Amino acid sequence: MNNILEIQNLSKRYPGVQALDNLNLTVEGGSTFGLLGPNGSGKTTTLGIVLDVLKASGGSFSWFGQPVSRATKRRIGAILETPNFYAYLSATQNLKIVADIKHVSYAAIDPVLETIGLLSRRHSAFKEFSLGMKQRLALGAALLGDPEVLVLDEPTNGLDPEGIAEVRELIRKVADQGKTIIIASHLLDEVQKVCTHMAVLQKGKLKVSGRVDAILNQHDQVIISTDELEKAFIFLQQLSQVKLIRKEKTELILSLSDGFSSADVNQVLFAQGIVLSQLTVRKKSLESQFLDIIRDQNTPAA
Amino acid sequence: MIRYLTTELRKLFPYRTFWLFLLLYMGLLLLLLFSASQVQINNQAIGDNLYKFPDIWATLTYIASNFNLLLGILFITLITDEYAFRTIRQQVIDGLFRSDIILNKFGVVLLVGTFCSVYVFGLGLGFGLQHTPAATPAKVFSGSLHVVYYLVQALGYMSIAVFFAFLIRRNGLAIIAYLVYTKMIEPLIHWQIPDELDKYFPMKVFSSLTPMPGREVFETITGPTMQLSPQQAVLPALTYILLFYLLSYLLLKMRDL
Repeated sequence: MNNILEIQNLSKRYPGVQALDNLNLTVEGGSTFGLLGPNGSGKTTTLGIVLDVLKASGGSFSWFGQPVSRATKRRIGAILETPNFYAYLSATQNLKIVADIKHVSYAAIDPVLETIGLLSRRHSAFKEFSLGMKQRLALGAALLGDPEVLVLDEPTNGLDPEGIAEVRELIRKVADQGKTIIIASHLLDEVQKVCTHMAVLQKGKLKVSGRVDAILNQHDQVIISTDELEKAFIFLQQLSQVKLIRKEKTELILSLSDGFSSADVNQVLFAQGIVLSQLTVRKKSLESQFLDIIRDQNTPAA
Repeated sequence: MIRYLTTELRKLFPYRTFWLFLLLYMGLLLLLLFSASQVQINNQAIGDNLYKFPDIWATLTYIASNFNLLLGILFITLITDEYAFRTIRQQVIDGLFRSDIILNKFGVVLLVGTFCSVYVFGLGLGFGLQHTPAATPAKVFSGSLHVVYYLVQALGYMSIAVFFAFLIRRNGLAIIAYLVYTKMIEPLIHWQIPDELDKYFPMKVFSSLTPMPGREVFETITGPTMQLSPQQAVLPALTYILLFYLLSYLLLKMRDL
């Protein structure tokens, strides 16, 4: 598999704060990678380092298997934190500067402005733009030159619901072209909706990383009801494949270990002569899992 | 480098502040030159003596040297803007290296310095021809080397400003530090240490490039102050200019953006 970005033992210390602690991450080509974490967890620091604006205190990273260079930078379109433009220049004038630096033809500017819906405002000064328009212009600058990789830090920040939907649609469209997208976000919903892979950061440490669906499945809950609730409860407690069990008034809530499915539960109970009246698999929302991951101080750093 | 210089111009030309500073520089210099030429001492316009070829070149560049601070403040504004807008950060993300950023700013400094020197040269021609009855080309251009010294000086003032801008990164503070250093700290140092040493300090080196006309007369009263001749000052001045860009580069390289 071709790796777009490899991060090894990356650390960043600010006076009194370990912003990033021995981070290891790999982003595969063609994936949409969500970097998830609460504010101050090190997402922007990570992106800042790999985008060459922050200095790492330790560790290394490579893009396309190479150290960062002019050539690697031109293959990446990136937004970090805020839309950064000259306040007094128009949208077109600002994008011309970006085009110069990325060695992209000015002919690419209007189509990008069209994509982000700012073509009619192309001669307006950046300072007259609303926050949402500024954010869209930043997205446009990142898209300029059709880069192989998009790095987006909180791309829907400041957008109204319609704008958020548009940006997500745009991200999906770009992803469908086989491009790699790296998104930092504190919005779980966002990662769940657009990402194929994700990593969760907390206080500069990696808590978990992998495919979004794998991480989702990992902690599914199985809910069962039966007439013989007490008997089932006692039996399941002894079963090693059942990691957690909680008894409610009319149901049992189970958390199963890998490789042991809800069908297996049904089978072993049936063998015990316990017939289930109901069996439901509840996919935990990413949000509750995210909170679990962050709360669980024992989760080993992956 | 050339490609990025046009990029720099794309930022400059639509920027009103840039034109404001440039017009201020051009207008104030013209105004001061014109009014000084009208000053009368003993019923004789001093312009007649100081504005004649070849003396005009020394007079003119000395007067112009007072406006270098304006150029310095312009560059502090241009560079601290890049920090305020965070465009410096975005441009490093998009493909520039820190060395490109320094080279770009040096390119603009060179351009503005050249423009101002050409303007000063034009003023010299105009005022000189007006005050010199029989101007021959030999007379006109003898001493015009002062304009080159002035160019070096203007580059020096702008380069130290570039350094303060990269050092402090905030407009107001950087301008204050620049003014305090050039107008207070260095003069105080000059006061404290022997001339033999202080003549090599940056601001003194830069000011040696455009000595005050008639300084010899002045010094018969105050005693000679030791100062490099403009010819001697060129090399140290260029060395300082190089040093300021080198230091700015190191600052950029060492710090987070």
